[in-house]
Amino acid sequence: MKKIVIILISLIVFVFVVKSQCNSSLVTICSSGLAKNAMYLKELKVKLKAKEAGKKAPIARYSLMLNKGNHYRISVCNAKEFSGKAIVQLYDKDRLMGSSYMGKKHYPAFDFICKKTAVYKVLISFEGGKSGCAVGILSMID
Amino acid sequence: MIRISKFFIFVVALSLLFSCGGTSENTESDGFDDFSVPDSVLADDEPLVVSEQAMEGIISNMSSPVEMASLIKESGAQFNYKYLNSSDNIDSYNTGFEQALNLGIYGADLGYLNMYNKTGTVLSYITSIKTLSDNLKVGQFFDFSTLKRLATNSDNLDSLMYISVSSFDQMDVFLRENNRSDVSALIVTGVWLEGLYLATQVVKETPNKEIAERIGEQKLMMNDLLLILNNFKRNKKFFELIEKINKIKDLFKEVTITYEVGEPEAVEVDGILTIVQNETSIVNITDEQINSIATEVENVRNFIVK
Repeated sequence: MKKIVIILISLIVFVFVVKSQCNSSLVTICSSGLAKNAMYLKELKVKLKAKEAGKKAPIARYSLMLNKGNHYRISVCNAKEFSGKAIVQLYDKDRLMGSSYMGKKHYPAFDFICKKTAVYKVLISFEGGKSGCAVGILSMID
Repeated sequence: MIRISKFFIFVVALSLLFSCGGTSENTESDGFDDFSVPDSVLADDEPLVVSEQAMEGIISNMSSPVEMASLIKESGAQFNYKYLNSSDNIDSYNTGFEQALNLGIYGADLGYLNMYNKTGTVLSYITSIKTLSDNLKVGQFFDFSTLKRLATNSDNLDSLMYISVSSFDQMDVFLRENNRSDVSALIVTGVWLEGLYLATQVVKETPNKEIAERIGEQKLMMNDLLLILNNFKRNKKFFELIEKINKIKDLFKEVTITYEVGEPEAVEVDGILTIVQNETSIVNITDEQINSIATEVENVRNFIVK
């Protein structure tokens, strides 16, 4: 009887713990991992459903004003309970400037040395159109 | 009896598991919906000229006050209290209009104080921000006990910056989601104006090319800012504010921004993927233009801070 109770309690706790990342705590986890010379500026939270058959994979779009002379970093953190790995892309109008996924490799962050003040677009999707939950943190490097 | 107990526990456990699953599904459809406190809606229910979605884009485009403060510090300019709106002025702000604008002003001042590690003074500004945000019914987004604790130790600067910026962002999202974009627009205006005020005051005393350029670049933001403010121009106070900001806009007409094209390069620096932009923007702004802008910005700021 005791064993059953312990197993059930463990199962409930496990479910709560595993399911608990896709919320503001992911922002806290991700921002706490910033380098010492990085200054937090903004968070981009995204949660997308899996791609439906015959449709395009869902993409979240954001816009950011980035300033000339600044060295920015976009860090990516995925919620563990989802299989999807986020791909963050930075666009200047329609031109792709950089991505967290290059050469079939996921980078936990990428830097952008900005030389033109403008409104840039950030697109976040999940590899293979899987469902996913992630946070992108924009920071400024000293 | 034992069978009943086992069965009972099993049913309770199952129902708990299912209830967890339900919460997750709701979250999945709504995204990060952790700000669900209901609030009042706009008193004026005429349709907005700019949609809420467009406003969200415009507001999120506004640069963080931390970036302007960082540029000022990097220029080598000394910290100066005289640039700040005194936290003692708080009692003068009695209407929601004044409170929202000055919440933005104090927010930018907080960024400036944090950047120079003035943790002692930060405390009085945090208290003023708490009072204003409570009056505007958005105080729930500021964890003041944590902010105060962090402000007592200069080693906590990073955390203090993170919580300050994050709190303002959360509050802004909440306001827009609860049809209080008018308040959000005023806070953003306050933040923007104070950032420009700090930059113009500093550059008048310590000429600096980068700050001068950043001032000129505000031309890019003015139209967007006026676009969101114009949504509420039927309100007499808003109309008056728009008129004043239009005077600043007029002074930017002769400021020009040109571009030199170039292809971006991707390199790996210390294991970090780094994209170097080779397209550059060049701002042409004269000292006279900066002085005129500084004077007008000061006039508008004086109208707001009293």
